[in-house]
Amino acid sequence: MVVAQLALVANGYRDPHNYFAFQPFNESSTYAVELVRVLDDGQRVAVPNGRWEGYDWNELIDWGPLRSPWHQRHAFSGIDAVVDFLDHALDWMADNTPGDTETRYWEATVTYYRNARGPHVTVIRSHDRDLGGP
Amino acid sequence: MTDTVSTASATFTWRDRFRRWLSEVFDEPASVRGAAVLRIVLGPCVIWHLRPFLADALDGITYHDRFQQPWWAWYPNAPEGLYVALLWIGLAAAVLMTVGWWSRIATWAAFAVVAYNLFLSQTHFHHNRAFLVILLAGVALCDNGRALSLDALRRPPPDDRALVWPIWLLRFEAVAVYFASGFSKLIDPDWVGGRVLHDRSVRYQNEVRDAIGDALADPVLEVVTARAFHWVLSPAAVATELFIAFGLWFRRTRLVAIWVAVAFHVGIEVTSHVQVFSVIAIGALALWAVPSTRDRTLVTPSRWVGWLDWMARFDITVVPGASWCMVDRDGTVLEGREARRFVRTRLPATFLFSRFWRYP
Repeated sequence: MVVAQLALVANGYRDPHNYFAFQPFNESSTYAVELVRVLDDGQRVAVPNGRWEGYDWNELIDWGPLRSPWHQRHAFSGIDAVVDFLDHALDWMADNTPGDTETRYWEATVTYYRNARGPHVTVIRSHDRDLGGP
Repeated sequence: MTDTVSTASATFTWRDRFRRWLSEVFDEPASVRGAAVLRIVLGPCVIWHLRPFLADALDGITYHDRFQQPWWAWYPNAPEGLYVALLWIGLAAAVLMTVGWWSRIATWAAFAVVAYNLFLSQTHFHHNRAFLVILLAGVALCDNGRALSLDALRRPPPDDRALVWPIWLLRFEAVAVYFASGFSKLIDPDWVGGRVLHDRSVRYQNEVRDAIGDALADPVLEVVTARAFHWVLSPAAVATELFIAFGLWFRRTRLVAIWVAVAFHVGIEVTSHVQVFSVIAIGALALWAVPSTRDRTLVTPSRWVGWLDWMARFDITVVPGASWCMVDRDGTVLEGREARRFVRTRLPATFLFSRFWRYP
């Protein structure tokens, strides 16, 4: 167990989430997300306040660190951890919105300030959804 | 020649000490009262930790209904009904832990539920929850029901001694938390240079204003949002964590390190709410008590010492009208005010406000 704990502490310098590496309050970074749905024909549709087609981002995700990401938010556990979670959240959203028959994939443009330095921009997207059809 | 002899002698002493330490850790039973105190602290913390999950469950919401990020594809997902039942089992186990009924089984059960819940989704991870899981595992490994428990009242054991290697393991884990946190900040120029804390202070100043009102907030914020303030505060915070990590190991610095650790955690809790972390970290300090009990004799006219002596530091005889007299482990006799002062340095409830540095 001692060796495992030491390995996890060392792994924290590689792992964006610092799991079991005990690096709390590691950053004061902030971020904001511009969320768009990309339709089958390539059209990009903004998602104001995270609402579309009867769905609501905050209700679906329902997790504090990713709540209302279109506003400037504190990056819980650091910006790298947030971007990684956002990436997975987009995939999860793509898999859990069966009533949305238009969106081919989700795209999030993340503008962030790492410890008040920036802005930096990174773009992430969900996997493609199967919309059926011919 | 003399050098050779003294070097050999020093090597022998070092090896001898190491062997004796290994024997203390793995072979010789010692008091597990520290683990029992920690069990009592962890019980309510498990309830506190499970409370939001149970509140959601009462509203019909579980992790199935929100974004989740599994740790491993093979990890079993409990159906909703079973998951909610597990949460209630965890709650019941936490109550049993607190009162010490089926202490060890209850601690294992609480550990299993908290750990299972943590590893259901990466979104359940917080450092304080990871530390809670580790502490629960360590306390469960220890025969923690031998003291301060209903188990010990129902079937009194001959003494409160058991193998203490889990306590040493928990000591390492507790120190690893302080060291990992302090060292990661030490090598981060943004952290040790004050940039991280300064930015947070500026960003959350409205919360300070809401909490203490404008009149008090103005002078406070003038200080805590000043960049220069964080050139001092941030290195001091890093030094504090590293001092606790090393200071706990040595007898001469241990009491100071414990005092600093309590102040540090109270400070963190006041400025940043960190769920159960502050409480369990303070509770874990009980693990640093020397694992021998009632090895100092005390004659006192006061009954309150017995009530507050949770770590069983003293073999107490209450004699109405008598003056205080305490005989320490090494035979040192303290009387009157000196004895009272010493006693206060060894009671958890009075330690913080005592002159502990006079009696290391």
